[in-house]
Amino acid sequence: MKRIPTQLPKGARIYLPDEAARKRHVEGTLLGIFERWGYREIVTPTFEFLDVLARGTDENVQASMFTFVDRETGRVLALRADITPQIARIVATRMRDEPKPIRLAYLTNVFRYDEPHVSQYRELYQAGVELLGLEKQEAEVEIIAMTMEGLHGLGLHRFQMDLCHLDFFRGLLDEIGDDEVARDLRAALARKDAGTLERLVAAAAPPSAVGEALLALPTLVGGEEVLDRAGSLARNARSARALENLAEVYRLLKIYGLGESVLLDLGEVRGFDYYSGLYFETYVSGFGASIARGGRYDDMLGRFGYDCPAVGFAFDIGRALSVMATQGVDVPLPGPEFFIIDFTREKTAALSLARRLRDRGASVSRDIVSRALAESLAYARAHRARHALVVGGERTAAGELLAIDLAAGTERVLTVADVLEAPERAFASTFREGRS
Amino acid sequence: MKSVLTLALPKGRLLDGALELLAGLGVEGVDAESRKLIFTDARRGLRLLFLKPADVPAYVTYGAADLGIVGKDILLEQAPDVYEPLDLKFGFCRLVVAESRELWERDDPAKWSWVRVATKYPRLTEEYFSQRGVQVEIVRLDGSIELAPLIGLAERIVDLVQSGETLRANGLVEVAEIARSTARLIVNRASMKTEHAAVTGFIDQLKGQLPR
Repeated sequence: MKRIPTQLPKGARIYLPDEAARKRHVEGTLLGIFERWGYREIVTPTFEFLDVLARGTDENVQASMFTFVDRETGRVLALRADITPQIARIVATRMRDEPKPIRLAYLTNVFRYDEPHVSQYRELYQAGVELLGLEKQEAEVEIIAMTMEGLHGLGLHRFQMDLCHLDFFRGLLDEIGDDEVARDLRAALARKDAGTLERLVAAAAPPSAVGEALLALPTLVGGEEVLDRAGSLARNARSARALENLAEVYRLLKIYGLGESVLLDLGEVRGFDYYSGLYFETYVSGFGASIARGGRYDDMLGRFGYDCPAVGFAFDIGRALSVMATQGVDVPLPGPEFFIIDFTREKTAALSLARRLRDRGASVSRDIVSRALAESLAYARAHRARHALVVGGERTAAGELLAIDLAAGTERVLTVADVLEAPERAFASTFREGRS
Repeated sequence: MKSVLTLALPKGRLLDGALELLAGLGVEGVDAESRKLIFTDARRGLRLLFLKPADVPAYVTYGAADLGIVGKDILLEQAPDVYEPLDLKFGFCRLVVAESRELWERDDPAKWSWVRVATKYPRLTEEYFSQRGVQVEIVRLDGSIELAPLIGLAERIVDLVQSGETLRANGLVEVAEIARSTARLIVNRASMKTEHAAVTGFIDQLKGQLPR
């Protein structure tokens, strides 16, 4: 027998209906929050010319882009691997005259040719925002507050936000002034590998204050006291500015009442290269990877000819779903409110009931297959229908229907005419709590 | 916040060293001989998992364990996305290329253009040879690597050596060193943040046990 090809490429992922409903719930929750903070949705192309996309995208992300050839021009095309550079370019070229600040939200898939790991596939879904045209630290605080609201909105608890600032580290690297050493130091710090860090610092032999600060980096994690300790270690202007900036954001976060869930972390250096200032990652207890991250990228729009400060963040929806499963967050997966079973030959009652209930905003599906009532009810339960309406069954007369509340297990005999006349009266609680 | 930290330990050659360090922290009553895979020290808020060494990074990467002890050789091979804050300085060994004495007597590594190598470390082996412009055919084995050249499965092997005794006993000679390895402490990225005080406290305690 011939085998039917069904294999998926590595990193591709299907969301079956229940999974898709959960995914939609996460997306709807996050987009709803973005909307309430005054953000407008923007949609960008899934593919573009590689050289256009590459401008502004981090080098290591560029290396993991899916590429293919444009049949018309022969130029190389790529799937977007990061939406932020796209939005930066669009704002720089098409929206630069709009009054500031510009608040944009997106729901998108991005594609990365990475080894799949911790709930991340090669096609990943993100929901996020960009806030453009604000230099003030209140911009960072706004997106951090929105991220926290997103976490709460998804029903998550026990999370920790890691606040980092690459410029503190970059200021120290400037004092060494050797790109290769800088790359090695960053790789060692990214692993918090104290032994290698010691060896590299000893080999580079920087001014002793710089060496001391570099070695202290992995320990510069914690509450407010980190700022004082770091302040006594850094002697250069760039690092000092980074600390000032971080201190101001932290001060504002405390005013917002968000100081508790925040960890200051100057030893974390894994953020995108394009982050020019503060950046953050969000971790949830018991899940091995960050589920939302963001930061400031003031130099990005300049690459497209328009200097404009900007901040942004994104949730990884696949990871958010995994964390919710880990923490046992229950996502309601409702079926139709009504399931109509009509045993009459004409089916006129079924059709008019369905039309009337749908007009009132309820979701209604019909049992079109001819089968015994018990089987029809089993199907209705499997699809999580709330009520089954049985017309022309053994227990009702002409013009009547049997309304079975599948959740409560109760049943009533109603007339078809009454239901058509006033569905809200016959099914008051359903219409009160329904999604209509 | 959760109060119990989970530490993944590698069964095999690194286990004694790891348990010795833990005994120094007052973790007692661990019976390494028993077949139990989980041990809980409620008093110290520590749960131990006993795993195959190559499985330790996966448990830590995914957060099934907050911390792990594993050889640098495995970290180099798997390149997991974890923190690696401490060199525990025990379990020293080297990853080397070896071949039979007979071959070694007439062999010139500078002239290698294609080699067949038996190993448990396919990624490191590939990387090492391809960086030198040598094509490599890898025979992936899971144990008793030294047997491969004797039987003619592969001319050369890439494997860990401690004293070199196993190589000698099998008539093999070291040709090149690829990497050096000691036991490392690794930490899950999220645990480092969400259990920051407990994790850094544990790292500091462990650090206090290490020879200066």
